[in-house]
Amino acid sequence: MSVISQESQISSAEDLAKKLDSIDGVSSFVDQRSSGTQIRPVVKLQVTPENWREVAESLYVDYAVDYCSMITGIHWPDSKDKNWEIIYHFLRTGVKNPPHSDGVVQPIITNNSELKGSDVPLELEVTIHLGDTRTPSVASVQDIWVGADWNEKETWDLVGIDFEGHHGMRRVLQPHETPKGYHPLQKQHKLRYHNFQEMYDDAQGFKRKPVDSERVK
Amino acid sequence: MAEMWISMGPQHPMTHGLWTLKVKVDGETVVDTEPDLGYIHRGVEKICESRDFTQITTYCDRLCYASANTWSHAYIYAAEDLLGVEVPERAEYIRLVAVELQRLASHLMWLGAYGPDIGNLSVMVWCLREREMMMDLLQELGGSRMHYNFPRVGGVKRDLPHGFAMRARHKLSLFLDRIQEYESLFDESTIFLVRSQGVGYAKPEEMINHGVSGPNLRAGGVNHDIRTSHPYSVYSELDWTPAVERSSIKGADCYDRYRIRVEEMRQSADLVLQALDKMPGGAETYHEPGDSKILAKAPSRAPEGTSGSHHFEDSRGESMFYIAGGGEGRGKMPYRVSIRSPMFITIPYASKCMIGYKVADIPAIMGSFDPCIGETDR
Repeated sequence: MSVISQESQISSAEDLAKKLDSIDGVSSFVDQRSSGTQIRPVVKLQVTPENWREVAESLYVDYAVDYCSMITGIHWPDSKDKNWEIIYHFLRTGVKNPPHSDGVVQPIITNNSELKGSDVPLELEVTIHLGDTRTPSVASVQDIWVGADWNEKETWDLVGIDFEGHHGMRRVLQPHETPKGYHPLQKQHKLRYHNFQEMYDDAQGFKRKPVDSERVK
Repeated sequence: MAEMWISMGPQHPMTHGLWTLKVKVDGETVVDTEPDLGYIHRGVEKICESRDFTQITTYCDRLCYASANTWSHAYIYAAEDLLGVEVPERAEYIRLVAVELQRLASHLMWLGAYGPDIGNLSVMVWCLREREMMMDLLQELGGSRMHYNFPRVGGVKRDLPHGFAMRARHKLSLFLDRIQEYESLFDESTIFLVRSQGVGYAKPEEMINHGVSGPNLRAGGVNHDIRTSHPYSVYSELDWTPAVERSSIKGADCYDRYRIRVEEMRQSADLVLQALDKMPGGAETYHEPGDSKILAKAPSRAPEGTSGSHHFEDSRGESMFYIAGGGEGRGKMPYRVSIRSPMFITIPYASKCMIGYKVADIPAIMGSFDPCIGETDR
């Protein structure tokens, strides 16, 4: 049996959350997420934007969080407590650098169900809220996890959240000549034919008009 | 000699899709590279914000033409996490069969395309022949040849059809024999060995930091597989260990990345066979579509403030969905859908792997990472 056991994952997630909760500007707890028929723990962190850079370095150095999975930016124009939200997904893979012998890498094939302590692979989710601003920005972690590099580029390109200290920011998914300040996942940009009821009720399309026809040229 | 930038792509046999690799060359040697993506950006994330949770599955199928089933399953797990659905066990086994068959088809497509990339033309026909067997099996499940739209929130579209298990066992045992034919076609081909061995070294510690995952990472001797380290589905019920390659001290070269995929094909075939044997209720029983054994009831709305996420082992690495609830129609649609594409992260790293090699090595190195531009550009 090579699959990690649920109990060891939950107990080591709780250990990590307790340690992380004691850092300044961080509140952390374990969330039970479902995955098909199983329950899996996710260590959730709420970090203030001022502390983020320090916390990120500590996560990498002290807590062996070695793998940046994804960065998501969300625009909440109508929300009361947050206008911009940035969510980082990390994995603590728990793998060690494989040893060499005779010029060949010897993989460490451990029995995952026997892993303990800091070797247990974990999921982390870091949330940062930003207030009402037209120029949302947060510290870059590109130099800590290189995997965050293109994620940050994409988040800026599509959502418009800037990353301070990011080297080589540019458009990655949209054309290079896209107008400055145009970020399609911001909520003021509506999809045309947004109301799908209207589309199906009016199969001939006589009444059909883009929802933003008055505002967009 | 003066250095200069040349553009490979957007139309180039090396790219396996539509993107540009800008290469800075000094004579024949690659000095620097810069990938330029986004040629087929369709805005799937934005489109999903105006579709309800069932409609999105169709869009996720179309993220990658070679591996449609794994992408729609990756979405479905995140949606089930968001909506809080518990899936019947039989549905999980059927999903595992569908996903592993798709992984086989995807790896065969890669193997068939990688041969011609580096001058081994005959192997393409052989691989596509076996891929067709997997496509036939998947067609029986999903009803169409490439985009199956098979999983549902809470289960699967339909049960295994009559005789599916028998045909699957027959085809997979045939396939397991034929894997040896590919191995002999590749491993005894001098041109393949010369062009893939010692080319495109990728270091394991660098790969983890760069976010490279899946077979590309395991080729470097790193035992990291989402299926075992963050278990989902019923992988914990089956008897298996992820395939890990013993690469050289310099890292994983193109040959290691070929070896790991062949090993993974063996393993996927084995997983399907095991799942058919262990399926609750037996693989030969059939339930009507919508039966509670294969489809659980699921709510259609997710209130604001809820979120769901799921890591998933795709054929090319770790794919992931993050969904925030509370969109239009009082939560009928998601507020935000965010997609992690393994290749979007891997292509920049693969481009860096080429530095120091010759221009003629670029197709061999890029091809070995198995790029798929549909998922990269989304």
